[in-house]
Amino acid sequence: MNALLLFTIQTANLLIIPLLLVGLIRKIKALMQNRVGAPILQPFYDLAKLLRKSQTISKTASWVFISAPIIGLAIAIIASVLVPWSSVLLSPGWASWTNFLLILYLLALGKFMTLLSAIDTGSAFGGLGASREATISMLVEPILLLGLGALALGARSTDLLTIYAGPINPFIAVLVGLALIIAALAELSRMPIDDPTTHLELTMVHEAMILEYSGHSLAIIEYAVALRTCIFLGLAAQTLLHIWPVYHGLTVFSRYLISIGALSVIGIALAITEGVLVKLKWRSVPNFLAYAAVISLLAALVAAAQV
Amino acid sequence: MSVSEILGGSVVWCGIALFLWLAVFGMGIYRRQYSSPILSLLLILGCICILVAAFAGRNETIFFPSPWFLGGVGINFVVDPLSRWFLAIIGLIGIPVAMFSPGYLYHLRHRISINLVWAGLALLMISMVGVVLSANALVFLVTWEVMALSSFFLVISDHEQRDIRRAAFVYLGATRTGTAFLMAGFLWAHHLTGSWIFAEWGLSGTEALGPALLIFIGLATKAGSWPFHLWLPIAHPAAPAPVSALMSGVMIKTAIYAMVRLFIVGNHIDTPAIGPIMLILGAISAFWGVIFALLQHDLKRLLAYHSVENIGIILMGLGVSLIGTSYHSPIIAQIGLAAALFHTLNHALFKSLLFLGTGAIDARTHLRNVEQLGGLIHRMPWTATAFIVGSASICALPPLNGFASEWLLYQGFFGMAMYGPSGGLRFGALFLMGWLALIGALAIACFVKVVGIVFLGVPRSQQAENASEAGPAMVGAQAILALLCAVLGVATTTVLIPLGNITALIGNGSSLNGIWTLPLPLLAIVLILTTGAIAIWMKLLSKAHPSRIFITWECGFGDLGPRTQYTAASFAQPISRIFGAIYGYATQITVGGKNRRLFPQTVDAGTTHEAYLETKIYTPFLRSIQRVSGVFLMKLQAGSVHQYLFYMALVLGLLIWIGVH
Repeated sequence: MNALLLFTIQTANLLIIPLLLVGLIRKIKALMQNRVGAPILQPFYDLAKLLRKSQTISKTASWVFISAPIIGLAIAIIASVLVPWSSVLLSPGWASWTNFLLILYLLALGKFMTLLSAIDTGSAFGGLGASREATISMLVEPILLLGLGALALGARSTDLLTIYAGPINPFIAVLVGLALIIAALAELSRMPIDDPTTHLELTMVHEAMILEYSGHSLAIIEYAVALRTCIFLGLAAQTLLHIWPVYHGLTVFSRYLISIGALSVIGIALAITEGVLVKLKWRSVPNFLAYAAVISLLAALVAAAQV
Repeated sequence: MSVSEILGGSVVWCGIALFLWLAVFGMGIYRRQYSSPILSLLLILGCICILVAAFAGRNETIFFPSPWFLGGVGINFVVDPLSRWFLAIIGLIGIPVAMFSPGYLYHLRHRISINLVWAGLALLMISMVGVVLSANALVFLVTWEVMALSSFFLVISDHEQRDIRRAAFVYLGATRTGTAFLMAGFLWAHHLTGSWIFAEWGLSGTEALGPALLIFIGLATKAGSWPFHLWLPIAHPAAPAPVSALMSGVMIKTAIYAMVRLFIVGNHIDTPAIGPIMLILGAISAFWGVIFALLQHDLKRLLAYHSVENIGIILMGLGVSLIGTSYHSPIIAQIGLAAALFHTLNHALFKSLLFLGTGAIDARTHLRNVEQLGGLIHRMPWTATAFIVGSASICALPPLNGFASEWLLYQGFFGMAMYGPSGGLRFGALFLMGWLALIGALAIACFVKVVGIVFLGVPRSQQAENASEAGPAMVGAQAILALLCAVLGVATTTVLIPLGNITALIGNGSSLNGIWTLPLPLLAIVLILTTGAIAIWMKLLSKAHPSRIFITWECGFGDLGPRTQYTAASFAQPISRIFGAIYGYATQITVGGKNRRLFPQTVDAGTTHEAYLETKIYTPFLRSIQRVSGVFLMKLQAGSVHQYLFYMALVLGLLIWIGVH
């Protein structure tokens, strides 16, 4: 019974929360800009619309173009089942599946395919987007790994389930949480690294990569992006929640509710920042991410000193 | 009766392989009318014998009795789990290389002597087997030199081109220098211990440091570790593709074998200082290789730089192992060694796959410059697919084999971070985890560049436009390697059994199986099922709403041409600029024409970089040697017979004088 309930919640997690979060961020952003904005449920409508449309595929495209979104979505689904972004719903027997190195590299596989698909159509914008995305992920990957490595060192395990099941040193949690949020901004192509709403191709990063997609392929790309938003922001939320020493001792359901709340808080904060900040010049992106790198190095230093 | 008893000793099978390969060598040297498939088949049969020796044969030691002596020392060979691991690598890579060669060499038939290439390949394989089996320093040196010379002849096989001759001489110079260091180290070790047999050395403490450093430099030169890597990116583009595959995939790994043999397994030379040196050089190598690879436009040069990267990763594993040993942590020592050896195998597989893919492209388009290729996925679909699999494995993406070994290395670092005795070491280990992630992400960028520019998009030249799929044997060779990459990624627990036999040599009992916790086979199944389900769903949606195949984003200008695409140089530009200080990266734009401000007629954009290590250190050093030899030695060697007769008389006199006294 308990397992069935957890499964239902997990599925709901996957289907509803990511898109709701995206809708929420858009709504808050619109309010920040003095607009009424689309309803919070708009991402659902968009998805339903896109799924009913046919797609146009470039003449130069190959199987890479068709399969990249499919592989990307499969990986996003698997990762969002495994990553404890909405508290620990998996039973501890699954710990070895949630190895953070495995999950980061699995997500990298999805990124590898996305980058290739961007070049596949032979358009200049795709190449531009892929080149920039590769640069950003080159900067983000060490930050994520060092930050999560610092947490793992505290828990003496590289499995995320084990890491988030126990207490985390609050100082490390603050540092890693911050680093994860900044890394998530870059990884999810949000402001100030990349503007998800831009209409100028030359300033796009992620949008430039998926420019040639339409119809149901675009639908699953958008859904995968929503899932990844939850994964990365959820990881940051989990880490930050562990500053509160009581958190890891609560029951699964209260933790679940609290972490959904935390996820929306981070989403709202993200929307507010996006409303206030301007997009960084492309050349200043490495400097911005260097802050996160320093923060996660600091976390690693503290963790190494504490063992 | 077990399998190994039925199939007999490993040395017997190696002997059969030796005869087969000697036959190929002889046929290659003497007769000109043998067709390549026969030679290829003989080479493959030899490789199969080697595989039997590796998998089914027994561990044994063989002493050849007198009168077979070499400088007063018996010729002896030893087969143990470590040498069987490398025998397996030689056999596994040898088969696809031999399969691939006939088709590839055909397109070079007007420029090179194909029979001599076969003779060289056979000799190279014989000598590599000799290196990994030799039990004493003299046999090792002899086979090592045969290996260096046979690979030199293979590199120079297209000797009518000037830059290939130059590349081969750079390689010869580098490998000779390496051997000189190695020889000096062996002599020193012999002087200290009085024995040529590795197993009798048992050097330790401060007296081991000197020979250890010399031997390490010699081996690192062959392996291509920073800062001794300069020959790799020069020699690999010059060699025919199957030779590059064999050299990069297997030959440079024999140096790794020797490092493991001498420094780690059996404590023949036991000095703690080598561990940190390996770790640091490995960390630099890995980074250096990948950032330089990103700048390259010649496919084979790019892959050669990736060999520098992967040798760095392997060295980091060896370093972790040695550091673990020196801090009395056998588990970390075992994980590090297992990671290094596993990555050695994996790198052999995916790097030879990538070199063979490059060879297939070269054979079909006669091009190696990525900027002139493009759109090959439509023209060479199988090669493209195999190349993408190889690229994903070299980027350590799960569920392929590169990930499995890099994950082990991460576990080694993590173990060091948990159990390291000092805070500095623990932080260093965590830092190296981030460092490895950086290298992995750079490798992804680099291979997205390669695959994207070479295989995807629109062809950038007429040759690429007219390309067609390589022959079945060439595709088959790549398919074998691609399949092995996938299988080894999932079946890691099987690979850990022979690895456990090796790591058991340095710690009591095998602890590897407890380390490997990843459910990769299940994950691969889940991934395939999920992907399949989504693919079917997409298929159904496409059926309901048919897709349209059309020009996208033409903006009214007509079809997209090759010039609208991104170039490799542009793709690498953002990352290259970030690390620009390391290699003086600069971009130039030249605008020409009468009124060039308003109506430019020509616009040229390009990038330049400079390898400071080569231009600021090696070149001045070699120049000064040349200058010294030009001033002094040239006068001694003036080409005058009288002068030489005088030297001979002088030496004769000297010898007589020494003899008398």
